[in-house]
Amino acid sequence: MIVSRAIPAGLVLALLALLVLAPMAGLLHLSALPGYEPADLRIWESAYLRRVLYFSIWQALLSTLLSVLPAILVARAFAMQPDLPLRRLLLGLFALPLVVPGVVVVMAVVSVYGSDGWLPLGRSLYGINGILLAHVFFNLPLAVRLLLPLWKMIPQHHWQLGEQLGMNAWQRFRFIEWPMLRETLPGVLLLVFMLCLTSFAVVLTLGGGPRSTTIEVAIYQSLRFDFDPARAVMLALLQLGLCMLVAMLTLKFQRMPEVEIATSAPYRSRRTTLSYVVNLVLIMAATLYVGLPLLSLLIDALQGPVIKMATSAQLWQAFANTLFIGISAALLSVVAGWFLLQYSASLARQGRATGARLVDLAGSIVYVIPPLVIATGMFVLLSPHVDVFDWVYPIVIAINALMGLPFVVRCLGPSIRQSHARYHRLCLSLDLQGWNRFRFIDWPLLRRPLGLAIALVAVLAMGDLGVIALFGSTQTATLPLMIYQQLGAYLISQATVTALLLLLLCLAVFALLERGIGGKADVVN
Amino acid sequence: MLLIEDLQFGYSSQPALNMHFDLRVEDGEVLSLIGPSGSGKSTLLSLIAGFLSASSGRIILDNNDLQALPVAERPVSIVFQQHNLFPHLDLYTNVALGIDPSLRLLPGQIDAVRDALARLGLENMQRRKPGELSGGQRQRVALARALVRRRKILLLDEAFAALGPAMRAELLELVKTLVGEHDMTALLISHQPSDALIASTRTAFICEGRVSMLAPTDELLAAAAPPELRDYLGSQ
Repeated sequence: MIVSRAIPAGLVLALLALLVLAPMAGLLHLSALPGYEPADLRIWESAYLRRVLYFSIWQALLSTLLSVLPAILVARAFAMQPDLPLRRLLLGLFALPLVVPGVVVVMAVVSVYGSDGWLPLGRSLYGINGILLAHVFFNLPLAVRLLLPLWKMIPQHHWQLGEQLGMNAWQRFRFIEWPMLRETLPGVLLLVFMLCLTSFAVVLTLGGGPRSTTIEVAIYQSLRFDFDPARAVMLALLQLGLCMLVAMLTLKFQRMPEVEIATSAPYRSRRTTLSYVVNLVLIMAATLYVGLPLLSLLIDALQGPVIKMATSAQLWQAFANTLFIGISAALLSVVAGWFLLQYSASLARQGRATGARLVDLAGSIVYVIPPLVIATGMFVLLSPHVDVFDWVYPIVIAINALMGLPFVVRCLGPSIRQSHARYHRLCLSLDLQGWNRFRFIDWPLLRRPLGLAIALVAVLAMGDLGVIALFGSTQTATLPLMIYQQLGAYLISQATVTALLLLLLCLAVFALLERGIGGKADVVN
Repeated sequence: MLLIEDLQFGYSSQPALNMHFDLRVEDGEVLSLIGPSGSGKSTLLSLIAGFLSASSGRIILDNNDLQALPVAERPVSIVFQQHNLFPHLDLYTNVALGIDPSLRLLPGQIDAVRDALARLGLENMQRRKPGELSGGQRQRVALARALVRRRKILLLDEAFAALGPAMRAELLELVKTLVGEHDMTALLISHQPSDALIASTRTAFICEGRVSMLAPTDELLAAAAPPELRDYLGSQ
């Protein structure tokens, strides 16, 4: 049995190695060629590279602090108000930024804070201010969603003891909440830092000038505008090194809550009116911060040239391209992830825990390698032999599938392992194998995380701007690339309509895939 | 003396079960509460502790009604089956919290914490974390904290249910002694009739949100009625 699982998993691992290592080897090889040695290659002697490195870290640090610190207060406010009206709806709104593409967020931020927006910041929007606004829009809700379950993990008896011992709000935080928060916070901080460090669409569109360029964007600019592959290689290696460092720190500190956790019932103590009002204000402020840009985008888009654009063949071509890339990447990623996880679960069941962990790690390792680094490597590797612009779809689909793999591992892994641990012997004793086992055991138990994994990878791939911006052209553009091109041509109203279309597409695809595959009912595993 | 008078409570999720308690517990007494799951034993303790609010009735201790008092001001200490201790704090701090949650203790209070730990046989473990202790030792720490709080009422909500018979018997004897020494009033929930025999002269059988029978423990355990009691005890 384990051999039959090892063959497809081995193929996936080989393909993974090829997709990750070959571009890296290409980059390393190129950096050693004598023809490619621009003056600013030595990083510490180049003011440009030093500035890019400094700005990358600085914006990521600020974005992280501005996202996570308020998120602690907002998550706590949600946790303390389990009976708040519309709580589910508000938390649903906080899940939205997870599926909204970066370029749509940019449009939404411009819609509120741009010159014609409700809260105009004028020119100062472009640069660090705009980048921070957009990153906080993404990451504050993410941090709230990651931190909120922690309060459910606090035993109800601890709250009761705190109340009986007469603890005030500060003492409750110090003795009951902070110890639990302290263990998870470094992981959340590092995750958000990593996301901001590798953010591409936001920095490209709201920053990108000489004073506000990150490594990720500088790689793109080196290849697309300056035609300086050696500098791109240097930047890619620098970005890789930084990401590896953050990933190692994350591994050291990370203690993220599992997708499904044992939760205690929310404790309803008699809280004061003041604390209720403070919690309400925090929740309302965060809701406005997240909701306002989306609402503004919707209004602006509906006032834009909707009819004219609805008849644009180019728009619908981009729509079809986006959908095709998203669905293909999701299917590829989930199939690859399925084989890997089945194999790792078999290994774990047989007591080969290290082997299982290594297989899981192989699926997640691409998380530390920015997609633009792989794309750059592939560009460098393939461009001498083929016209890479003719291979745009396979390349973009493959890289996005690869980037989706860590999400598949995270969503599906725990359920597959649990299914193996609990039911494998029973299945063996009942001779439930192959299709029958999948139909009666695996599918009902796994369809929910499977639906979530496919939906997540699909919207991530549909919203990708980094890889498609490197390989795409007007003919092969996706909606995100089209928005970027429209912004570049100052066609703001058209870009807003395109952004709304992309947003609606992502939401529809996410809902259809998650519900369609995952089903509505919870299966108790 | 603790007097529960006409104390009524209902869960909105179970409108059919309207709980209604009347009970009297003497000073220095450990009264055992037995009864099926969901019968209202823990609810009664939560009402006394103030975690839940009764819709009507009185909880009187020494002629004072506790109902109006907030949780922290009630003369009550509670020991649960688990999660009594904060896992990141050492034993000394876990007990000291019982005196002052700000941990600003006077020299006499520091001595009281050390004395309580010593009384419970934990004198050399002050700096250990709860994770380094056995289940029985953890419950001793919780009892030590109840001691330093010097509250009149001690509530034990299946506090020793997870322990083996010998350890349970040892701790029940200890509780009996401590309640006598400190002139406390204790209510003990247990699913083991043997616990009631060890700890309590009298036992109450709680069924469907009411005190169905209150009698000397040996009599109650041998009684032929009510039938719910026989069903609960599994005897003919």
